[in-house]
Amino acid sequence: MKRSLRSWLWRVPLDQEVDEEIAFHIEMRTRELVDEGLDPRIAREMVLARLGDVNRLRRTCVDLGRKRDREMRVTRWIGERRDDVRFALRQLKVSPAFTAVAAITLALGIGANSAMFALADATLMRPLPYPDPDRLVMVWERAPTFPRVPVSPVTLLDLEEQTRTFEGFGGINMGIGGGPLLEGTDGTLQSVDRQFVTTRFFDVLGVRPVAGRTFVPGEAKGKGAAVVVMSEGLWRTRFGGDLSLIGREVRLNGEPFTVIGVVPDVVQLQRPARIWTLLADSPPGLSQVAVARGARSLQIVGRLKAGVTLEAARADLAALGERLSRDYPATHKGWSMNAEPLRAAVMGPELQLTSLFLFGVVGFVLLLCCANVANLLLARGSVRSRELALRAALGAGRSRIAAQLLTESLVLATFGGLLGLGVGATILRVASTRIPAGLLPAAASLGFDARVVFFCAAASFMAGVLFGLVPAWQAARTSLVQAIASESRSATRRGGRFRHLIVAGEVAAAVLLLCGAGLLLRTLLAVGDFDPGYRADGDTVLTLDFSLPAPRPATRYPSFQALMSFYEETARQVSALAGVKTIGWTTGLPYGDSELPPQRVAIVGDPPVARDYLPLADFQAVSPGYFTTLDLPVTTGRSFTDLDTNEGTPVCIVSEAFARSLLGGRNPIGLRINVEPLFPGFDVPAVWEIVGVARQVKGRMSDPEDRPMVYVPLAQYPWTDTFLVVQSLDGPVGRLLAPIREVVARIDRNVPVRRERTLTDLANSRTAPHRFRAAIVATFAGLALALAMVGIFGVLAYSVEQRTRELGVRIALGATATSVLSLVLGSAARVIAAGTVVGLVAAAGLGQLISMFLFGVKPLDPVTYASVAGVLAVTAALAAAAPAIRATRVDPVEAFRNE
Amino acid sequence: MPFKTPNALLHGTLDALILKTLTTGPRHGYAIAKFIEDASDESVVVEEGSLYPALYRMERRGWLEAEWGESELGRRAKLYRLTPDGRAQLKAETAAWRQFATGVSKILLAQST
Repeated sequence: MKRSLRSWLWRVPLDQEVDEEIAFHIEMRTRELVDEGLDPRIAREMVLARLGDVNRLRRTCVDLGRKRDREMRVTRWIGERRDDVRFALRQLKVSPAFTAVAAITLALGIGANSAMFALADATLMRPLPYPDPDRLVMVWERAPTFPRVPVSPVTLLDLEEQTRTFEGFGGINMGIGGGPLLEGTDGTLQSVDRQFVTTRFFDVLGVRPVAGRTFVPGEAKGKGAAVVVMSEGLWRTRFGGDLSLIGREVRLNGEPFTVIGVVPDVVQLQRPARIWTLLADSPPGLSQVAVARGARSLQIVGRLKAGVTLEAARADLAALGERLSRDYPATHKGWSMNAEPLRAAVMGPELQLTSLFLFGVVGFVLLLCCANVANLLLARGSVRSRELALRAALGAGRSRIAAQLLTESLVLATFGGLLGLGVGATILRVASTRIPAGLLPAAASLGFDARVVFFCAAASFMAGVLFGLVPAWQAARTSLVQAIASESRSATRRGGRFRHLIVAGEVAAAVLLLCGAGLLLRTLLAVGDFDPGYRADGDTVLTLDFSLPAPRPATRYPSFQALMSFYEETARQVSALAGVKTIGWTTGLPYGDSELPPQRVAIVGDPPVARDYLPLADFQAVSPGYFTTLDLPVTTGRSFTDLDTNEGTPVCIVSEAFARSLLGGRNPIGLRINVEPLFPGFDVPAVWEIVGVARQVKGRMSDPEDRPMVYVPLAQYPWTDTFLVVQSLDGPVGRLLAPIREVVARIDRNVPVRRERTLTDLANSRTAPHRFRAAIVATFAGLALALAMVGIFGVLAYSVEQRTRELGVRIALGATATSVLSLVLGSAARVIAAGTVVGLVAAAGLGQLISMFLFGVKPLDPVTYASVAGVLAVTAALAAAAPAIRATRVDPVEAFRNE
Repeated sequence: MPFKTPNALLHGTLDALILKTLTTGPRHGYAIAKFIEDASDESVVVEEGSLYPALYRMERRGWLEAEWGESELGRRAKLYRLTPDGRAQLKAETAAWRQFATGVSKILLAQST
């Protein structure tokens, strides 16, 4: 510092410095010789001769000097920054309240942004955790009416044989969640999520096993197919990471499977899975069975050959799709094939849009935080203008002072960023427990890692520059004379305009976020306020997920009909339990859970329609007790009875939506419908007579409207995978769970009882994504409102403070409290009104973007907009009240005494 | 005889001599050269072609700092002053020299007897 300061003050051009030094040397040497008695002229020549090439010496010295100067500039720059930082720290220490408020404000903004960045990163940017993830796609069939339909196993063979752009395909049957019972080494049973895959699935993803191996081609045949791959998580928790498990046998639903390998947990696509078993290879000749092509059950992951673009692969698939629709019109007329990047398919558009939306929301919050801190700094800058003027008078350049102020801002931002890391980690920890199940696929990793920390640092720096530039620029512009002479008033005036602009912006941003939150809250009200159809209190109805083994000769369940004995016996024993009111069996539940796929139905007697254009209806097999347990009224006709057995006439009950949309006003009772059996050899009736109409129950949230439904008696359509529904006599149903499990274990201990959920749980899962979004956006909108309020209060309070003298004069001259109020509030009101209008206009413009998240409310909902304007007016009035009242109480005597 | 055949001085040795010279106070380039010649009974001759580059180099390294001061003749002259870094460097060079000199004399003295 000392050295650099000196060289800076004693600035002599380098050339001159060197010349002078050498000349001085020559002169001294000459003088020395002259003193010894030599002639001055000879002496000088001798000296020069000894010196040699003076020019070379000069050049060397100038060269070295230049390097020295350059390094010194750098050192000085670093030194100045270090001094700036030190000075900034001292300044911030002097006003701890200001520092704390600013740092906490920033920490909230930066923390919220870091957390939402983690979400956006996981869903939008981070590559999937597989090698060469860009080459992975998901292949879909496109139905005439629906863009993404899974692919049949037969079509998978065509894909493998007839495409040129793919390295390979893996098929996966994700099921509906839940899975078989896995018997642990200690004999305990646990239900684990299973997915069925083709042999190449893991190879196509590029998964390296943690231990053992994955499936090999040709393995899915005969006895060798009874092999299982498990996830690392399950292997470690359930089997203690025991390597000797590889090659040993485990039992799934009582059947032996050989463990061949362990894979990392990231293999889970979309749905959770802990074990993977093989899909049976299609039997030879199946491709000739026309209906097999329609059994679209597989999701297909494809790996593109290196260098192949998505477009080329799509063209390849389209050509195959055309061939299929030409060759197999029965199942492919009007269909085509398409592919999309695996990440987009796994994350889904709703999730990606949600993360973008939330990221945008917190972005606005950070802007508000910056605005408030900038405001604080501006106010402080005005107060400090005399200090700054003094420093300028002592020789500090304007850019130097601006750099100093910017450094202060950056130091502040660093504090905010460090605190923000903590805030972000906390938000993420809390949020990840609240994220509704199913919103975030298993392959997405949500964590606070280096990427988030890097983002946090970048955001802090940007924020520091953003809120620091205004005061720095302000200071750099302020003239020295002006600042000292007029004691900061002129600086204040200009700062005042700035602050008003900032506050208007804050109000606009708060209004925008409030509108978003309002629309989402209205949506939440709309989705929470639906009629579920059933009348039972959701807390009193428990649903348990059962999975019986597929019927096989010489086992306990040799045929589908044999399953009925288990259902009947379990029903009898559970009904006898204390506290149970009614029970029923069903293959489907309200809100869309179903063990049976929707089926195409035709009304017997209507003109024939091509199969693909037949309407789809949800298809559900239930026992008579289902309707009573859910208090689901059969409004027309009759309900099922115990007499509707496989010996009786096949009967069905349809839902209101079915009667309304598919029957064209005819009386449903007595009509007959035709439903194809699910697969060849499944011995169930094809024609069913409608005997009743049940009230409509709600389906999935994503259903645009109520789905037509067909109920058939379970006794006439026995199915392996079912739900037991139990209504308790009174109070919460949870305590019945243990006794029910005991009963089931007594009857057949190999039957897994999987998930158990109350009807309320199911209803909540329907609204969960909405609640999640609304909660987050409402929280941040509230924060935004609070920030805007602080901004309004700060600016107004400051301006009253600055105008104390002026107000004193006015009051001394007889201004009434009203006129003072209108003077102070007038400008504030204009600013707030302008901000509100801008915010509402922006909301109207941006509302369309979130229409996907809205339900039962339009993006341009007048109620929301009016309420937001109202809320803002009230809040702004509250924020303005204290400074305004203070303005009317200015004591003229006090105001002048201060001078 | 005032001028002798210039000795080929090692950089490091010259540096050390300059540093040592400046321990008694700030001096300009000529005074440094003169002091070294006088103190060594003119057995060490400082060549200007080495002296000034050495001074600039050492200033760049932060061992010396320069300021403009007044010479004995009342003229403006660039004075060099030892910095704390330079003092530390002198210590290191002295130690190295002592080690080197001990080693060399051990051999030379053994040969001569």
